[in-house]
Amino acid sequence: MALREEMERDPRVVLLGEEIGPYNGVHYVTRGLFAEFGKDRVMDTPISEESFVGVGVGLAIMGQRPVVEMMRMDFSLRAMDQIYNHMAKIRYMSGGRLSVPMVLRGPEGPGPNPGLTAQHGQQLSVLFAHCPGLRVVSPSNQYDAKGMLKAAIRCDDPVVFLEPGPLNNKQGEVDDGDYVLPLDQAEIKHAGEQVTLIGYGASVALCLQAARDLERDGVSAEVVDMRSLRPLDMGPALGSIRKTNRAVMVDYAWQSYGPGAEIVSRIATEGFWDLEVPVQRVSGKETPLPYAANLEELSKPSVEEIVAAAKVTLQRQ
Amino acid sequence: MSSRPQPKLSTPVGKSADGGAAATTLSAARRFPLDATTLKNYLRQMVLLREFERLGEREFKNGLIRGYYHSYAGQEAVGVGLVNALDLHQDYIVDHYRDHGHMLLSGMDPMRIFAELFGRANGVSKGKGGSMHMYSPENHFLGGDGIVGGGISVATGVGLALKQQQRDGICVCFFGDGALDTGTFHESLNLASLWHVPTAYVCINNMYSMGTSLERHSSLPRLVDRAVGYGIPTEQVDGQDVWATTEAAERIFRKVRKEQRPYFVEVLTYRYQGHGIHDKPLNYRSLEEETAWHARDPLKLLSDHLVEEKILSLAQIEALRAEVVAELEVKVEEAKQGPEPAPEELMHDVTL
Repeated sequence: MALREEMERDPRVVLLGEEIGPYNGVHYVTRGLFAEFGKDRVMDTPISEESFVGVGVGLAIMGQRPVVEMMRMDFSLRAMDQIYNHMAKIRYMSGGRLSVPMVLRGPEGPGPNPGLTAQHGQQLSVLFAHCPGLRVVSPSNQYDAKGMLKAAIRCDDPVVFLEPGPLNNKQGEVDDGDYVLPLDQAEIKHAGEQVTLIGYGASVALCLQAARDLERDGVSAEVVDMRSLRPLDMGPALGSIRKTNRAVMVDYAWQSYGPGAEIVSRIATEGFWDLEVPVQRVSGKETPLPYAANLEELSKPSVEEIVAAAKVTLQRQ
Repeated sequence: MSSRPQPKLSTPVGKSADGGAAATTLSAARRFPLDATTLKNYLRQMVLLREFERLGEREFKNGLIRGYYHSYAGQEAVGVGLVNALDLHQDYIVDHYRDHGHMLLSGMDPMRIFAELFGRANGVSKGKGGSMHMYSPENHFLGGDGIVGGGISVATGVGLALKQQQRDGICVCFFGDGALDTGTFHESLNLASLWHVPTAYVCINNMYSMGTSLERHSSLPRLVDRAVGYGIPTEQVDGQDVWATTEAAERIFRKVRKEQRPYFVEVLTYRYQGHGIHDKPLNYRSLEEETAWHARDPLKLLSDHLVEEKILSLAQIEALRAEVVAELEVKVEEAKQGPEPAPEELMHDVTL
């Protein structure tokens, strides 16, 4: 929806990616666009990730607005030279003479249904979020996704737009209007008083469910959706902790060195005196994503783990 | 054919492996008509490129330039022939790390290039790019590139943008022989052929991928033979001979422009310095080989012709060289006067 509206609004917007044309996109994000806009604006690419991401960079420095799809974000590993060395750096290396207004988007992490396995369901957001020069966003619901994708397409910086696996193939609540949401602002998604649950992308839904479960147990939890991983907007999380004095960091990524590690580190440096107890963490288990449904379930962060972690913060006074 | 001594090379520049499918223009276009004014202008440009690198090396040794420095010396006829055949009001260049010569030919101010090499605020990239990372949109020069093969897909995108925007220009992408060993070269040629992208892919084969000679890094001795799988016309050109590079470039770029199709060109030449000026080329190549290539020095071939044809005397050529050096020395001094970038520049041009 965001893609169609932006393509209608701006003739410079072109899409590139694998199977985004007649196939309609593996996750149907580009459904109908090939029929509507034709092969010159919805370009099916061969399986050449490094080069078609580079083509996106070339289009962008020439003033087009390419939106490049990774069928799975895992495949961006093939394109890391273009992402790290070109897309992210040309503006700085040129002393600001060029910009790269390009979007790299695609699904990441475990899907709505089990079985993506180790090379197709990784949560690699930290690889992008680590690199200055990129903006990295990860919306948690369809409404945010539409407004933030429109903002990403209109942004003069390169944006990595991470679509949480569970969001794909879903028809969610989307406004018809032409609304644009900020790319760099975290948001309180559920108000509460006693403990702060912090997530981004897919983990926000887990936090919201955990908040509902905690409410049944008489605990009032606040949920912060980071929405952007670069830049990080720590304001809402720090503000919430000032009130609750407790925090649980929740993400699907591997815990070591992941985005959660950075967010917790920022809490330690900027919000330390507001904490009554140590921050708790719930993350993806540090293993390749297994196939067996029970093991995959065990590998992911769960609502139960979040509820338990929140209660730990409340027990320790 | 020229009667001049040919370099003795282990690298064959003759028949193709497939029996000659690729066209070869090796020195055959020697008599391509270039008038005296053009030739004198070309000599001046070649001297400018050679002397720029000489001064750059001096300042590298003086410690004013740090890090990587890839000298263009020896390859002047490549740039002069090819860049002059472009119309940079509409065409674009995407370059690789051996980029000083092509920047000068694109019309960029030598002072600002020196200033960038010195890491000064008056440099092309405000001192934040360095030798391999200068961009001048107004000269249609879209960067050197520090990654071997890194610019090839970007140049494919630039050509595609020209096509999507229905503009008349073409894109020319320069890279070395080592870039043919990267996957992105082959991916990009496939994309460019598939999508009818008006980009000319120019491989400057200077016989070495860093310190690894052609026969040690390439499965086939002729690089044109490694670009034949994509339905793209290919051609080998003598890169020492400015008549040959000019003739080939004008013809090839006309074809790319008219047919909106890519082209692969292998230009045979030799760099006099190592891969970077800090390395020691005699560790991996022979003095005999270097001497053979110096006998076909591009400046010498052109100067000899100008003297033989009585267009310029040796004394006039020497005066021209002195004049270019004097002009460049002024540029070096002016560049040195530039301030270091302000500390706040560190965090500019990158989103926080």
